[in-house]
Amino acid sequence: MQAWRIREPVMWLCEEITGNRKTYGMNLIGGVRRDIRPEQYPKILAVIGKIEGQLKEVINAIAGDTTLHLRLKKVGVLPPEAARRLCVVGPTARGSGVAIDSRVNHPYAAYAQVSPKIVTQPEGDVWARTLVRLEETLESIRLVRRSLEQIPAGEVMAEVKEIPPWGEGIAYVEAPRGESIHYVLTGPDNRPYRWRVRAPSYTNLQAVPTMLQGNSIADAPIIVGSIDPCFSCTERMEAVDVKTKKVRVYSREELRQMSRKRQ
Amino acid sequence: MLVSKLREAIICLKNLRVTLPYPFQPAPPAEGFRGRLDLDISKCIGCGACVNACPPRLIRMTDEDSRRRIEFALGRCTYCARCAEVCPEKAIRMSQEFELSTDDKKDLNITAELLMAKCGQCNTAYTTQRIVDKLINQVAKEMGVEVSTQDWLKLCPKCRKVHEAQNIGEARI
Repeated sequence: MQAWRIREPVMWLCEEITGNRKTYGMNLIGGVRRDIRPEQYPKILAVIGKIEGQLKEVINAIAGDTTLHLRLKKVGVLPPEAARRLCVVGPTARGSGVAIDSRVNHPYAAYAQVSPKIVTQPEGDVWARTLVRLEETLESIRLVRRSLEQIPAGEVMAEVKEIPPWGEGIAYVEAPRGESIHYVLTGPDNRPYRWRVRAPSYTNLQAVPTMLQGNSIADAPIIVGSIDPCFSCTERMEAVDVKTKKVRVYSREELRQMSRKRQ
Repeated sequence: MLVSKLREAIICLKNLRVTLPYPFQPAPPAEGFRGRLDLDISKCIGCGACVNACPPRLIRMTDEDSRRRIEFALGRCTYCARCAEVCPEKAIRMSQEFELSTDDKKDLNITAELLMAKCGQCNTAYTTQRIVDKLINQVAKEMGVEVSTQDWLKLCPKCRKVHEAQNIGEARI
């Protein structure tokens, strides 16, 4: 609960900078839609300064909490070899001692200028993943500070008029849960024709069976929770007729009608 | 062990209750918040730029007889404010309103109707009256001509083409 309290000022800050707490809607083809105004700089620094202190307090308090250790250590272990084999990403990989981070391995945007640090823990259990996430919050605060110091003035948006159809694009970013990959195929009328997302939960969930092995049912919720899965990002569907075993492909129009049926 | 528990207790005691007294006291969002869409119908010219820009495609534009209907099905709105950004007349604005709970999605709908302009020659409704008015004003301003002498301004694109072609033809003779 204390973590939620610490998070709230960040949400207010996001609302002020972008116009919404969560659905920022900042990125457009050509740039970002809003600039960070100079008068917002001190406010951002004040908020992250405050939460940094509060976070350290919490980390300091729970790091030595033996009740938490008994519950989380040696639970849901994912050994480094298994982590590599299953291609897990983000804090799940880093909690198993696999030092991967697309911001460092393939720097994009301005990440090369702020040089993020990879936080790892070797144990691979739920506690290790928790520690990685906790330490990464402090690392993120450092990144925000360094970015604000170095941010150049200038235009935030380039004018893009026509987007050529049938072009393809693929991009990866390091999301809080790990590497997120988006693929797009452009269509006519400046609209995307295909959009495919491989969210980090998709790869991380493949490791859950390995993590669950040898643990009790009561450990399952914290093990699944430790990779922080987003099920809506991960859902894939295939329609199979049970009797004939035939795979049915739904057309775009059918899917659209189904999704709008209850409107 | 005990130290940790004490530290945790201190954190809790130091902060006590942090929940805001909302809804008993209002909790206004930050400036620049993108809330429910607000349409100023007196400014809308019915150009359809928002229809094109809307990612969830919730704005529908239909022409019927002498009216152009613009319908916003705001139950599907993602609050991206792209429509407000592309609106040439600044008729769309994102309000600060966020308390939109309703048991009927249709409560959130907005429908606007605009009068259509008829072509001076073939009498078909081709665009809204407000677009024609705007065009006429702009032409008068930029070309410095008397609008009443320029009949072609009130023609539909098809008739205007014919008019233009005839003009060129006459000039050649």
